[in-house]
Formats: sequence, structure tokens, C-alpha cells
Amino acid sequence: MILALETSCDDTCAAVVTDGGVIRSNVISSQGIHDRFGGVVPEIASRHHLELVNAVVDEALHKAEVTLDDVTLVAATQGPGLIGALLVGLVTAKSIASSRELPLAAVDHLHGHIAAVFLEPQPFEPPFVALIVSGGHTLLVDVTGPREFALLGQTLDDAGGEAFDKGARMLGLGYPGGAALERLAQDGDPNAFSFPTAKGVKGCDFSFAGVKTALLYAIRDLGEKEADRRRADLAASYQSAIVEALVQRAQRALDKTGRARLALGGGVAANGALRGRLEALAVDLGIPPRELCTDNAAMIASAARSVEPLAFPMYLDLDVYPTGAKGL
Amino acid sequence: MPALTVLGFDTATAATVAGLTFNGQSFERRDDPAVGARPGHATRLLSLIEDLFKDGGVGWKDIDRVAIGVGPGSFTGLRIGVATARALAQARGLPIAPVSTLRALAAGALEGISPIEGISLRPVAAIIDARRGEIFAGVWEGEATLLAPQAVAPDDFCQTLRQLGCEPTAVGDGAVRYRSMLEAAGALIAADEASEHRVSGPAICELGARGDLVSLDKVIPNYLRQPDAEISLKS
Ligand SMILES: Nc1ncnc2c1ncn2[C@@H]1O[C@H](COP(=O)(O)OP(=O)(O)OP(=O)(O)O)[C@@H](O)[C@H]1O
Repeated sequence: MILALETSCDDTCAAVVTDGGVIRSNVISSQGIHDRFGGVVPEIASRHHLELVNAVVDEALHKAEVTLDDVTLVAATQGPGLIGALLVGLVTAKSIASSRELPLAAVDHLHGHIAAVFLEPQPFEPPFVALIVSGGHTLLVDVTGPREFALLGQTLDDAGGEAFDKGARMLGLGYPGGAALERLAQDGDPNAFSFPTAKGVKGCDFSFAGVKTALLYAIRDLGEKEADRRRADLAASYQSAIVEALVQRAQRALDKTGRARLALGGGVAANGALRGRLEALAVDLGIPPRELCTDNAAMIASAARSVEPLAFPMYLDLDVYPTGAKGL
Repeated sequence: MPALTVLGFDTATAATVAGLTFNGQSFERRDDPAVGARPGHATRLLSLIEDLFKDGGVGWKDIDRVAIGVGPGSFTGLRIGVATARALAQARGLPIAPVSTLRALAAGALEGISPIEGISLRPVAAIIDARRGEIFAGVWEGEATLLAPQAVAPDDFCQTLRQLGCEPTAVGDGAVRYRSMLEAAGALIAADEASEHRVSGPAICELGARGDLVSLDKVIPNYLRQPDAEISLKS
């Protein structure tokens, strides 16, 4: 039985997963307190993680109907993410593990997003191309085994979810605004405005700086009143440009690798327009349920199954690593 | 009643400090990084605890309670210590006694036989450098709190000392950093490298042995300062 913790951003998560990949519990405590700051504030997120983490672990054990005596491996996200936030989860995991002389698996957050598709009841088996689009990351990976990856492309600037969030803010929606923008877009015409899909960026890399700036200029050119009247069109066109950019690169990645299987992960996987367009690619799609796409600890446990565990006391000096330091 | 076996630690300052009191004996293990070096809170604390267990010949089953320094001090450092204490308590079913890091600093100073004449008769001001031109400071006289822990500008603190007519022994990295200002206000301060300026592991254990037990969900750092984002949102 694996107990996993994930605290890389603003969700305090713990899960219990069997060695065979069956989820026994998957607890997510969303802080939902960063709205008024227009983004996640690392210090505030870290404070909340500390206050919540033990209760979240208790709840995960309770829901799984197990105790720590049943746990044979402790796992935690080591990075990338917010240092202070990651530390709460990793230090908690190390302390629980060491005081019971259990082994520890240190998991890369992005490996976790990919490993979400390996979980029961419908595991998606490699090889496949994975498209991970979240608030902090956007990448395409060729996955040939549970822990065998080749990076095909990534974003050169903003992450896909970040592009949704920034667009949402320009349109006067709260943070994080991806889901709200999608709702607004439902009443709009995706062809009303022509926003760029970073055509200049070749291969499987992404860039969302252009579409963001284009939306800013469109709003400015329309003027406050007209922009407000056409919010739904702006949202629909903006979403469409992001989705097209994502789908284009996914197609290129499939062509390049010759694969006909595509897995989707990260919070933006909740987006209906993106799902719809990927379904039209006529490939075998692996999209985990929503709660396994956004940050969660079940995916960390899933990844831990293929990570070489560190025996007690080899992990006592283990540290976290920040965004951009290493990882996939 | 036999004395409690207490595991105590503190990560509020740059140092990572752990102590063990067992059978009337005290043990300490610590990591004091060189000036400017990155603190080893996250990487060293659990190893120091393992070392202490070997020093004392004890295991988890012998520990009666965990004493934890809850600050004030470095936000990230505090969280590492408190997260460790909470998780150990959770995993081993142990009670936690939170201890003020400043109080522990002051206690350490009261205990050491002072090299300065008459020093133990004075109140003790424990002062931690809080950066950004502030200190975390508290003043004690024996068991009595003369000034509760607070975040304050050093010159305002000196002013308060003068108003109280208090000429304390001052300890801690903040006392070292603002030595001349504090000395001008009548404080006595030991040499920069004196051990009184460092949080002591056994002092955390001893205060924790006498201190109240708190349920682990209620054990939180005494930050004494709001996050920057909160402050700028209000202004
Ligand atoms: N329906 C949706 N349409 C578009 N974007 C969405 C939708 N729902 C959520 N998102 C976006 O997903 C992101 C959150 O995803 P997730 O929880 O995976 O990421 P994160 O914690 O921000 O980052 P990371 O996983 O990289 O650490 C946000 O940017 C949010 O706006």
C-alpha cells in the first residue's frame, strides 16, 4: 500500500493507492484563497499546506480504511514546483517514513501527471504520446514505458493553463479562470477574431505569449464598452487559438513518433473544446477523470510504483527542487 | 516520577538544532551553517535526530513527547521544523509541546555561567534578526515575561528598553547584528561567537518538558509577520 503526498502548488493532496494501481482514496484540499491575489502566493500556499497536511493524510488513510501499519511505501512530490510548498509535503513524507523505517519514493511532478493514466480501472498502456497542459507546464512527451520518456516539446514562455488564466483575467474573470473562460466561450463565436497559434514556432514546442498579447490589443482596440459587449466572442476565439496550437503540436508529435495513441493530462484536460478537437484526431485517447488531471496525490503514488524507492535512512537528506531545475 | 524523555528541535534560525533529554542526561546535535550559506533545515534535521538516538541509545518507543521551537524566525525554516514535529507526532502517536524560540534562547543564556560580571542578575533579551531592518525580540526576567515576542525595528526596541529602565543581557544573532545600538541602550552582549547567541537543543527540550501539550493540528509557527502579499493587498 502506497501513501502519497503532493503539495507542489496550492492543493494539499494525499492518496492511498495499492501496489497494483487501485485508488483507495484520493483527497484534495483546494485552498481557494488565492483568488483575491490574482495568482498563487507562495508564502500563503505554504502556510496553508502546513496547517492542512496532517489532516489530509488522516483523511486519506481513513477513506482508504487503512492505518499507517498497512503502508509499505511513502511517496511525495520532490519537484518541480514552489519550494516552500513542496517542502511541507516532502518533509512530512520523510518524517512519517523515517519514524517507521519505511522506504520513500521521491517523485517528479510531471512524471506524476503522465502516470495518472496508468491508474486502474482503465490503465492506458505505453507506448503513447502524452500532452500535459497545466497551470505551470505544457509539454509533449513520448512515453515508451512506466518511466521511459523522451521530451518532444515544451512551452517557450507561458504554460497553456497560464494562458487561459491570463486571458480570463483580461476578460474580468476570477483566478484560476480556465473553467470560467470556457463557460463564457460557449456563448461566443470562435471565428469572430483571428488570434495567433504561434505558427513561427516549429516542431513540438509551444508559445502562448503572442495569443495573450493579441487578446490584450483586441480588447484595447475595441474599447471598454465594445470589448465588454463582445466578451463571449473574445473568449471563444482566444480559447480556440490556444486549443488549435495545442492540437497542432500534438499532431506533429504523433506524426514524428508514428504513434496512434495520445494521453492527455494536467488541469487544462478538463477543457471540452480541447477534448473535442483531440477526439477528432481519430487516435486512441487516454484521458483520466478530471480529478486525476488536476494536481492530486494518486498520480504521485502511481508514478512511485515505477520509481526506485530509497530505503531508510538513505532519504533523510533529500531536498526539493524548484520549477525549471530538473525533471522531465 | 521519572523525568520525561523529550526529543526537541528548532529550525527558526539559520541553525538546525536538535536535543534529547533522557534519564537526567542531555544530548545535542546541531548544524550551524557558515555565514551566508544555505541553512540545512530540510536536509539535516532528520539525520541529526537519528544521531541523537544513537548518542542516547534510545528509539522512538522511548520518546515521551516532541518539543518544537515555533519561532519566531525564518518562515521556511519554521515550517520545516513544525512539519517534521507534526508528522513525527502523527506517525508515532506522540504529543507535541510547542516552545517559543526566543524563550529558549533566553533560557539558554540564563543557564550558561556568564563571563560578564553580574550578567545573570539582569533580565535577558532574546533577539533574532528578522531582516528588512527588523528584529524578533522578547525580554524575560526569570520566569516572568517583561516583553512578549514581537517584530520591531531595533531602534524602537532600544527606546522601549530605555522606557522600561531595562538593561538586559542580550543574546541571539539579532543582538550581534545590532550590538552597538543595543549596547548604547545599556544591554550587555557576549562576544559574537559565544554559544549564548545560538538556540540550544536541550533548552528546547527542557522548556518542552514543562510546557503545555497542544494537539498537532494546532501546532503552527509563530510567524509574527503577515505574508508580503497580504500586507500589500491591505495598503
Ligand atoms: N475547463 C478548463 N479549460 C481551460 N483551462 C482549465 C480548465 N479547467 C482548469 N483549467 C486550468 O488548469 C490549470 C490548473 O491545472 P493543474 O491543477 O493541473 O495545474 P497547476 O497546479 O496550476 O500546475 P502544475 O500541475 O503545473 O503544477 C489552471 O491554469 C486552470 O485555469
